Amino acid sequence: MDDLEIQRVRGTNDVLPEERLVQEEARARLGEIFGLYGYEPIDTPVLEPTDLFLRKAGEEIAARMYSFTHWNRNLCLRPEFTASIIRAYVNHLQDRPIPVRLRYAGPTFRYEKPGLVRHRQFTEVGVECIGAEGAAADAEVLAVARHGLEAMQVTGARFVVGHLGAVFELLSQLGMPSRAQSLVIGVMEHVSRAPGEAERVVTRLAAMLGAAEEPDSGEDGALGELLHSFGPERAARIAGDLLERANFSLSGGSRSPSEIVERLLLKWYRPDPTPAIRRAVDFIGELRAVAGPPVEALPALRRVLADFGLHDGPVLEVEAALEYFDRYAGVPLDIRVDLSLARGLRYYTGLVFEVYDDEGNQIAGGGRYDDLVRALGGRGPTPACGFSFGLERLLAAVQRAGTVASPDRSVRALVVPVESSDYGEVATLAAELRRGGVPVEVDVRFRGMRANLRYADRRGIPLVLALGERERAEGVVALRDMSAFEEARVARADVVRAVLARVRAGTTPEPA
Amino acid sequence: MNAPLRMALPSKGMEDDTVEFLRACGLPVDRLNPRQYRARVRTLPDVEVTFQRAGDIFAKVDEGSVDLGITGYDVVAEFRREDDQVSVLLPELGYGRCSLVLATPEAWIDVSSVHDLSEIAASTRAAGRDLRIATKYPNLTRQFLYDHGVNYFSLLESSGALEAAPALGSADLIADITSSGVTLRENRLKTVAGGTILHSEACLIANRAELARSSHKLENARLMLEAMEAYLRARPYLSVTANVEGGTAETVARRVIAHTDLAGLQGPTIARVYPKSADDDADWYAVTVIVSRDRLQDAVDTLRRAGAADITATQLSYVFQSKAWSYEALLRTIQAPDE
Repeated sequence: MDDLEIQRVRGTNDVLPEERLVQEEARARLGEIFGLYGYEPIDTPVLEPTDLFLRKAGEEIAARMYSFTHWNRNLCLRPEFTASIIRAYVNHLQDRPIPVRLRYAGPTFRYEKPGLVRHRQFTEVGVECIGAEGAAADAEVLAVARHGLEAMQVTGARFVVGHLGAVFELLSQLGMPSRAQSLVIGVMEHVSRAPGEAERVVTRLAAMLGAAEEPDSGEDGALGELLHSFGPERAARIAGDLLERANFSLSGGSRSPSEIVERLLLKWYRPDPTPAIRRAVDFIGELRAVAGPPVEALPALRRVLADFGLHDGPVLEVEAALEYFDRYAGVPLDIRVDLSLARGLRYYTGLVFEVYDDEGNQIAGGGRYDDLVRALGGRGPTPACGFSFGLERLLAAVQRAGTVASPDRSVRALVVPVESSDYGEVATLAAELRRGGVPVEVDVRFRGMRANLRYADRRGIPLVLALGERERAEGVVALRDMSAFEEARVARADVVRAVLARVRAGTTPEPA
Repeated sequence: MNAPLRMALPSKGMEDDTVEFLRACGLPVDRLNPRQYRARVRTLPDVEVTFQRAGDIFAKVDEGSVDLGITGYDVVAEFRREDDQVSVLLPELGYGRCSLVLATPEAWIDVSSVHDLSEIAASTRAAGRDLRIATKYPNLTRQFLYDHGVNYFSLLESSGALEAAPALGSADLIADITSSGVTLRENRLKTVAGGTILHSEACLIANRAELARSSHKLENARLMLEAMEAYLRARPYLSVTANVEGGTAETVARRVIAHTDLAGLQGPTIARVYPKSADDDADWYAVTVIVSRDRLQDAVDTLRRAGAADITATQLSYVFQSKAWSYEALLRTIQAPDE
């Protein structure tokens, strides 16, 4: 309390050297894999205008953003990468030949209840493929995800593949306006996970969309009907006039009287949205019920879509993408097709997928978002898709599987000046070793041989080189192998060669 | 020397109710001088009272310049942080009730619920501007709107007379505190269904760290909590005593217990009544039960059916239980501040 120590912000983590090494390695390795497919690196600011994410990301994410006002501008810490990447694409890259393939890695922020696998700052490592439509590009993104998992030696992962096309087609067939569609997509995940709550969800959405709010009782209904017969414009005028005669002024706020009356009439004549919502929720339940491995799920889905009078386009697209995906060589996978998969973000339009580790934690997710470029001000319709790994979760899965095998980049040698006057010579020696590729530390505290040996022991540095007046006079360097407890005196000119030989001989691990 | 427990009480709006509440708890507050902001609790010499603005009290408690405070829960909910030092010891002191509500111009006859606002926000946005909401409670308002699907808005953190903002055209609607609704109506504003952001009343808060540091302060805090908790616990109840005629205490007890909801907190207390005149040979028993205020008439009717005459009812002043639970809860948060 009264101490000066400052604690980090809740839900964030300090990544200490051991863990950071593993992270860097993983980022580099995933970046290399993404590069094999032609994805080029890009980075965007952590800080973005809040509006960027409000446009398409959806309600859930808006409520969980770190947003704030700084000198009257609405800013936020990015809650995800895709919108930022697309913003950068629209700002700078629209003239490049498509597809534009981009890869990224960096921190993202969401204000959520922190848990074992959920943090408020986390790292997304992913790709976006901008300007390509259809199953071939979807399959590529799936393949990149699988390749990444292979490179990280994650086994037992499960891919869940969905497609939002079916639900969107149903919603527009039901004549739902876009706000209603967005609300339904928003509850898809919930309905799919807790089928028992379907009816409650229907009631809630219906209320949100204004069902039965204005009971068509007696005069209201009659007046409404009468006004309706005049057509919207005249009706609004008449209603406004009536209210004014009743001495009820509609002015005094920021909305104009005609705007208010028009919306009121619109509300009166809006059909009850409940049946449409119920049908949509039923549909989602049916989709969920037939989810399973592709061989079983695909034919069953075709039947469900036919029952609801929908095209089987989405099923064909998933089927085609999975077929291509299969031809990208790779380990056999546990794949599940589930068209009720919605993902947390609202911009997806087509194939979507999530990857889970063997404990059921989501470690990756992505999909197709054909409208986002346009929504963020792009010149023309530009289909796009992508995915990202949650790096921390991915590494947790890797560590559980015990498959972390990052090359050791730790320090191999400690070079010790016996007196401070020996420092110059030691600096030169250290520079030679580093040019030879050996990670080397120099004693900059001049703390004497014994303390240095203890330090090397505690840090696990295998070789200690000492250089003092005597060594200089003899033209040698004292070379101590900490594991063999032996000390050799090596001619100054041969030191680099001798150290490299020991490193290579495996007395110490190979430097990367 | 042991430092006194410092307590901040709200001045202005909530002052009279707070002083009255403390008096009822047996903690009478004496102002040293009517123009001064300092006072004492007559029964607790080591408690130092200052009067401050309700809106400032959370910050004072958080920074530790006072140890305890009474303020509106609305203030606590708005200013609370994950890493603050403030614990709510008693969330409902039973006065200072008000609500934080969304209010639109009365002229918006097309708006009846918060869902309408969600739709209007979307269409205002489509027209190229944000719905502007004036409030002194930006955190609570923002979270509430997001939770209710209203995404496109900008908050004007105004501290002046919010109610005038819509009429002046500086905001579209407001989120403000109301208790009777009169101010809203006078400004031609109305609430909308589902638009209540928070119900609030006076609450007691404390700085955990300050209390943890001093056993003397903690002990004084315990004495205050004991008194407040016992008063709050007693307030809904009446003690009802009736003289009932019957053969033995057991038969009377059975008749009363048959109506289980009148059995009192534990069960009825039954004591023999010794008649004044020797020739009265009927056996009379005094039956005492504790009933909640809203069940008084039921209790009277039932006791009558059980043969009662002369029924009296008195307000309980204090109910002490085996422990002061709010104090036990405080001890737990002191021992494990981060859960």
